[in-house]
Amino acid sequence: MNILVPDSWLREYLETKATPKQIKEYLSLCGPSVERINEVNGDIVYDIEITTNRPDSMSVSGIAREAAAILPRFGIPANLINDPYSYKGSALLKLLNSATKVDPSQKNKLIVTTDPDLNPRWTSIVFDKVTIKPSPMWLQKKLELTGIRPLNNVIDITNYLMRAYGQPAHAFDYSLIGTKNGIPTMTLRASRKAEKLITLDGKSHSLPGGDIVIEDGSDRLIDLCGIMGGENSAIKDNTTQVILFLQTYDPVRIRKTSMALAHRTQSSGLFEKDLDTELVLPTFVRGIELMQELTGGSIASDLTDIYPKSYKPYVVSVKLQKISDYIGIKLSNEELIGLLTALGINSSVKANALSAVIPSWRRDITIDVDLIEEIARLYGYHNIIPRLPDKEPPSTLPPKNLQLEESLKIRLRDWGYTETYTYSMISDKLMEIFSLDKQKTYKISNPFSDEWVYMRPSLIPSLLTVLEQNLHFCEMPKLFELSMVYKYQNDNLPLEQSTLLVVSTGDAFYELKGLAETILGLFGVLFPKQLPDQMNSWLEKTKQLNLGKFGWLGAAETRLLNQLGIKKPVSILELNTDELILDKKTAAIYQPIPKYPPSYEDLAFVLPEQTPIGPLINELRKADGLISDITLLDAFSNTRTLHVTYLSSEKNLASEEIRPIREKLIKLAQKRFGAKLKAA
Amino acid sequence: MVNSPELSASQYIGLLLEIQEKALTEVETSVAPAEDLINKLLRGKSEFAHFSQQIRSIPASDRQRVGATLNEVKQSIIAAITNKTSTSKKTDAPWFDVTAPGIRPPIGHLHLVTQTIMEVTRIFERIGFTRVRHPEVDWDWYPFESLNMPPNHPARDEWETFFIEYPGKPGKNQKKQRIVLTPHTSNGQVREMEKGKLPIRMINIAKCYRRQEDVSHTAMFHQFEGLYVDKNVSIGELKGVMDFFFKQFYGPDRSSRIRPFHFQFTEPSFEVDVSCGACHGQGCRLCKEGWLELGGAGMIHPVVLRNGGIDPDVYNGFAFGWGIERVAIMKTQGINDNRNVYSNDVRLLEQF
Repeated sequence: MNILVPDSWLREYLETKATPKQIKEYLSLCGPSVERINEVNGDIVYDIEITTNRPDSMSVSGIAREAAAILPRFGIPANLINDPYSYKGSALLKLLNSATKVDPSQKNKLIVTTDPDLNPRWTSIVFDKVTIKPSPMWLQKKLELTGIRPLNNVIDITNYLMRAYGQPAHAFDYSLIGTKNGIPTMTLRASRKAEKLITLDGKSHSLPGGDIVIEDGSDRLIDLCGIMGGENSAIKDNTTQVILFLQTYDPVRIRKTSMALAHRTQSSGLFEKDLDTELVLPTFVRGIELMQELTGGSIASDLTDIYPKSYKPYVVSVKLQKISDYIGIKLSNEELIGLLTALGINSSVKANALSAVIPSWRRDITIDVDLIEEIARLYGYHNIIPRLPDKEPPSTLPPKNLQLEESLKIRLRDWGYTETYTYSMISDKLMEIFSLDKQKTYKISNPFSDEWVYMRPSLIPSLLTVLEQNLHFCEMPKLFELSMVYKYQNDNLPLEQSTLLVVSTGDAFYELKGLAETILGLFGVLFPKQLPDQMNSWLEKTKQLNLGKFGWLGAAETRLLNQLGIKKPVSILELNTDELILDKKTAAIYQPIPKYPPSYEDLAFVLPEQTPIGPLINELRKADGLISDITLLDAFSNTRTLHVTYLSSEKNLASEEIRPIREKLIKLAQKRFGAKLKAA
Repeated sequence: MVNSPELSASQYIGLLLEIQEKALTEVETSVAPAEDLINKLLRGKSEFAHFSQQIRSIPASDRQRVGATLNEVKQSIIAAITNKTSTSKKTDAPWFDVTAPGIRPPIGHLHLVTQTIMEVTRIFERIGFTRVRHPEVDWDWYPFESLNMPPNHPARDEWETFFIEYPGKPGKNQKKQRIVLTPHTSNGQVREMEKGKLPIRMINIAKCYRRQEDVSHTAMFHQFEGLYVDKNVSIGELKGVMDFFFKQFYGPDRSSRIRPFHFQFTEPSFEVDVSCGACHGQGCRLCKEGWLELGGAGMIHPVVLRNGGIDPDVYNGFAFGWGIERVAIMKTQGINDNRNVYSNDVRLLEQF
C-alpha cells in the first residue's frame, strides 16, 4: 500500500536538517521504500510504499518514527517530536474538565453495547453546538496533498486523524441515532446473513453475515464497521450534534466483509491489518481538540472508552550468535540495544541472548528473526559484506528430463524449427473446434479473459492458432513448442505431461516422420513396429501414424484447418517427451568398429500397385546376416531403388560372395511382394 | 633470314619490326604453352636471338637507340605470351558463378524465454544449484498456507490468483482443498523441502499465472526460484549469490543491493535492485536513481522450514524469486512491452 506524506507535515513530527532527497534515499535503504518525491504546487510530497505488516507506518507520524531511527545511522541528527504515544492521560482530563460545566442532566446520553471479540476498543463522545462548514485552508491543503478531497470540517477532522496517526475515525449525527426508551442506543454485533444496509456513498449492501455492524435503538443498521458508515446516520450540512467515534476491530472480519462486498476503503485497508488499541486514545484526544477548535462544538457527554483487555507488552528474545550469523559481524551489546532503542524498543542482554520488550505498535515482532530484521536493516543491509557460500554443495543429480528437453530444443532449432511459447489456457471456442471433453479438462473458475479458460489438454489448438496468425506474413512457418499439457485426474491435480509439438506448413509428412524417427533414435528408442490402428480425428485418415504411447504424426485434417482459417496443408508431430525419457537407454553400448570396408549396391524393383515399402525393406534386411543396411534411395512410379550395404566382420566381401545374397534378396522380394528386379 | 654483315640503324629497326610482327602472329595462333613459346621465339636459335647478336654491327653512335628498340620488341612479345596464356586459362575451365548465395544450414530459433532459462540454469549450476521443476497447477496450500499465508490473509492480495474448479469432491486432507494456478514459483519451496534431503541448493523454473495483463504483466509468465538451506546461513551469502548471478548475467560492471521489504514467507525480506546498465548508477530515464527493481528475496521464515519438515533451530536459509521475462527484458534492448514476449510472431522470434 502506498501513502502520500507531505514534507512539511512530516516535519511536524520529525526534527531534522535532512533534505527531502536524503530522507528518500536513506528511508528506502533501511525502512519503507520512498518511491518518488512529487512536487505539488510548491509542496514536496513523498510517495511511500508501506508493506502490509507495518500498519504503524501508514501515517505521517509513523513515517516520522522510522525516519528518526534511520537518519542518525547516516550521520544526520533526527528526533521524533509530538510523538502521539507521549500523550499523558492528563491532557484528556483537561479536555473533559472543560465539559464538566455542563449540567449532568443536560448531558447527551448514549447507551453503548459492544463485543470485545469483534471490537477490542470502543471510544466515543458527543459534541453539540457544532457548525458544519468548510475546514480552514491548512487542513484542506493537508488532506489534498495526501489524496483526500476535503468535504466539511467534521469529516475532514476524521480524515486528518487517519492520515496523521493511521487510526481511522468516524462521525455520526447524534440526532439521527434511533432511541430506546428515549435514549440513543448503539449496539455493536455480528450481522446476520442478508441483512441490508446502505452506506453513505449511497450503495446498498446485502450482508454476507458475520460482518461487524452497529444497530441503533430503532433496530436499524447504522454502520458497516471499519468499512463505511451508514447513510441514515451520516453528517449532513445542518448537523449540530456529532458523535466522534474511534475504534479497533477484528482484522479478519473486516477483511472478509470488504472482500465479500468488494467494498474496499482506506479505513478497511487499515483495520484489516490489526491496528494498535493503544493508539486509539491519543488519536481521540487530538480529535476532541480539533472538534473544539474547528467546529465550535463543545463536549456534551461523558467519554465512553470500552477496553477490557488492555495491551500487555511481551518479550521476544534472540540469541546473540544468531544475530551475528545473519549479519556476518558481531555487534556489541550496546550497539544492539542502541539500534532497537532508536525504534522505541527497550531491550537488554542476558545469558547470550537479547530480550526486547515489544511496544504496542510493533506487534508484528513476534519471533527472534523479526528482531534480527530490525537490527539488520538499521545496521544497514548495504553494510553487510557479500560472500559466496563456502559450504559443501549437495550432491544432487540434475533431473534427466530437464536436460533432455533442453537438448531436444537445441536440436530442433538446428534442424530449422522455431520455438513458440503459447499460453497454457485455451478458450471455450477452441475446446469446441477440437471437440475436447470439457468435463475432463481443468477449468479456471475466475478467468480473466474468454481466451483463457481451460488448461489445455493438448498443444495442438494453441500451435495451430499461432501458425494461422503467422501465415499472414510468413510463407512456410515451421514451429515447435515443448510445454505441459494438463491431463485430467479425478479428485487430484492434473498430470502435467511434458509434450513436444511440431507443426510444419505444407505436405511434410515424411519430414515429420523422419524427425520422429531421428528423435526416437536419439533416445535409443525403437520406432514402434506394430502401430495401433486407433485414429486421431484431427488428422487425415489416410495420412497419419499412431506412434502408440510416444505420440502421433500426420497431415492435419482439412476441415479442421478450414475452421481455423488455414488455407495451406499442415503436418503435425506430437511426441510425449515424458514417455521418451522413461524409455531412454541410459548408456550407449560400444560396438567394435568393423575392420573391413562395406560394399554397396543399388537394386531397382518394380512393385505391384500400392505396395507399402516399409515391410519390404524390413523383410529384406533380415534376409542375411551380411546385410548391414537397406535404405530407400529413390522412388519413381512403381519403381523403388534400394541401396544395400553388405558388411562382414571377418573379411573383405568378394563379388562372388555377394552374388548369392543378392539373389536371395531378389527371390524374397519376388515371392513375398511380387517385386521384379528392373533390368539394368 | 637476314644475315647482312653491315646494317644501318634504320634497316635494323625495320627488320626487327618484321620479326616482331611474325612473332606476335605466332603467339596469337599457337596453342603451345608459354614456356615453349618463349624458347621458340626469343631464346636459343630463334630469329630474334640471332638478330639481336647482330647489334654489334650497328655503328656505335646508334647502338644505344637501337638497343632500346630491341628491348621494347622483346618485352612486347613476352607480354603477348603472358597475356595469352592467362586469358586462355579462364576460358579453359567451365564457367562458375561465385556470386550466387551459399547453401545455408537450416536456422531455427529458440524462444527468448528458453534462452534465458538456459543461461540462468548454467549460471546457478556453477555454484552448485540444481534446476528442478515443481507443479504449475497446485494445491493452494503450497503457494499460500505452507508459506505462512493462511486463508484470508491480506498478503494474499499481492497475487491475483487464478482458481481451478475442483475435479470431483475435496476429501478430508486440509492441504488438498483448493487448486490454483501457482502465482509464483515459491510453491516449490516446501515441495523441495519435502524431498527430505539437506542441504538444499535449488533453482525451480516454472510457468506462473496471475490475473493481470498489461504493458509490464502477462497472465502467464515464468519465474526462477532459488532456495538455499544449510546451517548458519547469512544475509551476506544471499548477497554473494545475487552478486554472482548479476555479474555473470548482466556483466562484471553491474552491482546489486537489497532493501527492506515484507513477505510472509521470509524474515527478513528484501527487495532486490540491480544497478542500471544504461547510466551505471548515475540515474536516467530507464531507472530509479541508478537502480532497477528486480524482485524479492529473503531469509526463509521458520514457519516455512517447519512446514517443510526442517528444524529452524538447526537449519536456516534464503530464497529468491525473480521473473525470467523481467531479467531477459532488462538485458534485451527494445522490448518495451512484456506482451511481445508471448506474441509468437515469427518476425520477432527470428530476432533471437
